[in-house]
Amino acid sequence: MNHNLKDFYFFSDFLNRRVYKPSGQKIGKILDMVAERGDPYPMVIGIVIRTKARGKRFYLPWEKIFQIEPRLTFSGDELRDFKFLLSEKDTFLVREEVMDRQIVDTFGAKVVRVNDLHFLNMDSRLRLVHVDVGFRGLMRRVGWEKTVDHILRWLFSYDLTNKLISWQYVQLLSGSDLLRLSVSQKKLSPLHPADLADIIEDLSGRDRSAIFHALDTETAADALEEIVPKIQKALMETITVEKASDIVEEMSPSEAADLLADLSEERAEEILGEMEQEKAEDLRELLVHQDETAGGLMTTAYLSMTPEVTVEAAIARLRAESPNLDIIDYIYVLNEENVLQGVVSIRDIFAAQSLQPLSGIEVPRLVSVKVDTDQDEVVKLFMKYGFRALPVVDKDKCLKGVIGFRSVLDVLSHDRG
Amino acid sequence: MEKSYARSVSGSIRSMWRMVGLFLILAGPGIITSNVDNDAGGITTYSLTGANFGLKLIWTLIPIMIALIIIQEMCARMGVVTGKGLSDLIREKFGAKIAFYLIIGIFLTNMGNVISEFAGLAAGMEIFGVNRFISVPLGAFIVWWIVVKGTYRSVEKAFLIACVFYLSYIVTGVIVKPDWGHVFKQFINPQLSLNPSEMTMIIGLVGTTIAPWMQFYLQASIVEKGIKIEEYKFARFDIVMGSIIVHIVAFFIILVCAETLFKNGIRIETAKDAALSLQPLAGKYCTYLFAFGLVNASLFAASILPLSTTYLICEGLGWETGINKKFAEAPQFYGVYSLLIFLGAGIILYPNVPLIPIMYFSQVINGMALPFVLIFMLLLINDKKLMMGYTNGHVFNAIAWVTAVVMIVFTLVLLIRII
Repeated sequence: MNHNLKDFYFFSDFLNRRVYKPSGQKIGKILDMVAERGDPYPMVIGIVIRTKARGKRFYLPWEKIFQIEPRLTFSGDELRDFKFLLSEKDTFLVREEVMDRQIVDTFGAKVVRVNDLHFLNMDSRLRLVHVDVGFRGLMRRVGWEKTVDHILRWLFSYDLTNKLISWQYVQLLSGSDLLRLSVSQKKLSPLHPADLADIIEDLSGRDRSAIFHALDTETAADALEEIVPKIQKALMETITVEKASDIVEEMSPSEAADLLADLSEERAEEILGEMEQEKAEDLRELLVHQDETAGGLMTTAYLSMTPEVTVEAAIARLRAESPNLDIIDYIYVLNEENVLQGVVSIRDIFAAQSLQPLSGIEVPRLVSVKVDTDQDEVVKLFMKYGFRALPVVDKDKCLKGVIGFRSVLDVLSHDRG
Repeated sequence: MEKSYARSVSGSIRSMWRMVGLFLILAGPGIITSNVDNDAGGITTYSLTGANFGLKLIWTLIPIMIALIIIQEMCARMGVVTGKGLSDLIREKFGAKIAFYLIIGIFLTNMGNVISEFAGLAAGMEIFGVNRFISVPLGAFIVWWIVVKGTYRSVEKAFLIACVFYLSYIVTGVIVKPDWGHVFKQFINPQLSLNPSEMTMIIGLVGTTIAPWMQFYLQASIVEKGIKIEEYKFARFDIVMGSIIVHIVAFFIILVCAETLFKNGIRIETAKDAALSLQPLAGKYCTYLFAFGLVNASLFAASILPLSTTYLICEGLGWETGINKKFAEAPQFYGVYSLLIFLGAGIILYPNVPLIPIMYFSQVINGMALPFVLIFMLLLINDKKLMMGYTNGHVFNAIAWVTAVVMIVFTLVLLIRII
């Protein structure tokens, strides 16, 4: 069927447009459009009309539309009542769920508001291809597009361009899509955790927890590490203990300990109780230490070996354990009593003969700090020596943990506000 | 004898500090918003009410207080339940067109308020003998600095403590020994005539107490604080407390001005005239006491109002926001913010602009704009899908609708009478 379609449309072209009967009688105005959820570009399958008489809503399937241009006319005689519309699982209301809503632009990695929608004519069907987030789109909605165009061109010879985002990069945050978010969150997981964290911080409370719920454990843990403590805490309170403990297990121990310290004691205990024994023990040890001391900054996810281990064996262990390590720049050499003997950098390892024992290449002259050393002192040492990591020992020189460069950056950025 | 007196004074000073400390700890968005509410326009409007009409209109404080509590509670509830600001909700429910015009309206109304804050600053500093060509640009710069450098949070408590100044009205109110029986009678015998100056005054009183911008600001603060529905009862208490504090202060300003200025037939033409109301307490220093309060109130509101207006405009129109962004990342944000401050301050620098009428009429415009904002709020808060189980009850709806309708009727009557 040829609907006399133009090549492309904006949603604002349709909104409130009059709909006519074949006889030429005016029947009502367009209120909304129904589109099929489908990748990559949703197809419009019908429109919702509000009739003049008592403002009743009716559904008009696309097949029943006789022509779009010059005036929107439908064939057949009776309109179907809106109520028995298709399932929410396969279709969505364009205006109610997308227009004027906040969405995540996963390409530009930020939260934006939808001003208009851009449809393309593909084989006489309309497909939703872009969302318009620009000022021009807003002016089009208000009805000032031409005026603003004239003024800008006349004053500044400036053409206001459309700011379109491809539907492929759009993650909806509202309506029934929230229920389906876990299916569609694949658009979010390729984002850098720091970007994802910024997006989550930008959202309102409800959207925030909905998105967070939908993320898989690993992505959630990565993003959570980057989120400001206040929001971290709020998010952790909205999820189940099981999920929380899974996420905490995935986090770096030093970040996880900071997070647990912010939660209420009961909640932290519940989460620790659900975790793997070993990881929970590590975290409990970290939790004892004061904030703002070396102990509060350190992590337990580092690698330590005894002096007689060969370089070859060390490389093999490093390779095997690297996914779970926070500190991979150094291997710490300990004796049987866990007393710190020396340190081997990853560079030294690669430069050494494969059968040499670590005792042959370790650097014994060590800089380390005590568990209760003030964090400002730690920062100074990092600046002075240019370390990537700094070991933390107790009074008997036993290794307790390692402070990574990352934690020092956090301290500095916190001080700068 | 003397000793015990000294002890009781030091004791009462200590307990006063304890009260101030407790107040600062408890001060949440509701109490803070309320104190910002007593800004330059507020002090001026209350003073004019007392000076021009005596105690005749004092009864209006009771219905205004009830309306304020109800309206702010609605804002807070919407903020807690939806986690979104008022302008976001209006945009999402009513679409871009309505939101756009509403935002323009709010921009103009708030522009008036910003101008009135700088007028308050100029008026206050003129009492100290500082020329407005020095005080206003300096004030604009301080406000801009506080906000852009992100030090507002640390200054907020200082502003809040300085609000203790309002106590001087309460003390004066006791010193002047008003005929309390007469005051009480004014409350139970409400009088109203339809002459334009009285209608304008009442619209101004409502407008300054229930300023539209406050509702946006309050809801935004509630959202930012991330208050959860279980903690909501504390927020509600905070709002009721805040609303009561505003009205106690308003009551005493009107009372003091009625007892001092109205009785002696002094009309307020400049800030110095308004300051005379504090003479029974502070004698010849009354002008300084008044000026200090006015300057503090003006700077406090001027630090909040332009910024919150900018946020709601940019969020409503979908522009990048945030003071932590660079100019190139959020040009509209900085553009709107600078426009508000520099235009607001600039208009005051125009030779011989009358400061008191500016402060007063900006509040009247607030009052005329209020019903529109209120109607949007009512439509939103009764949306079952949006508010889930937390829509308005009948009593709340009735009071809010009555407020909106009364304000529209008053405005229409006023316009008809003027024409």
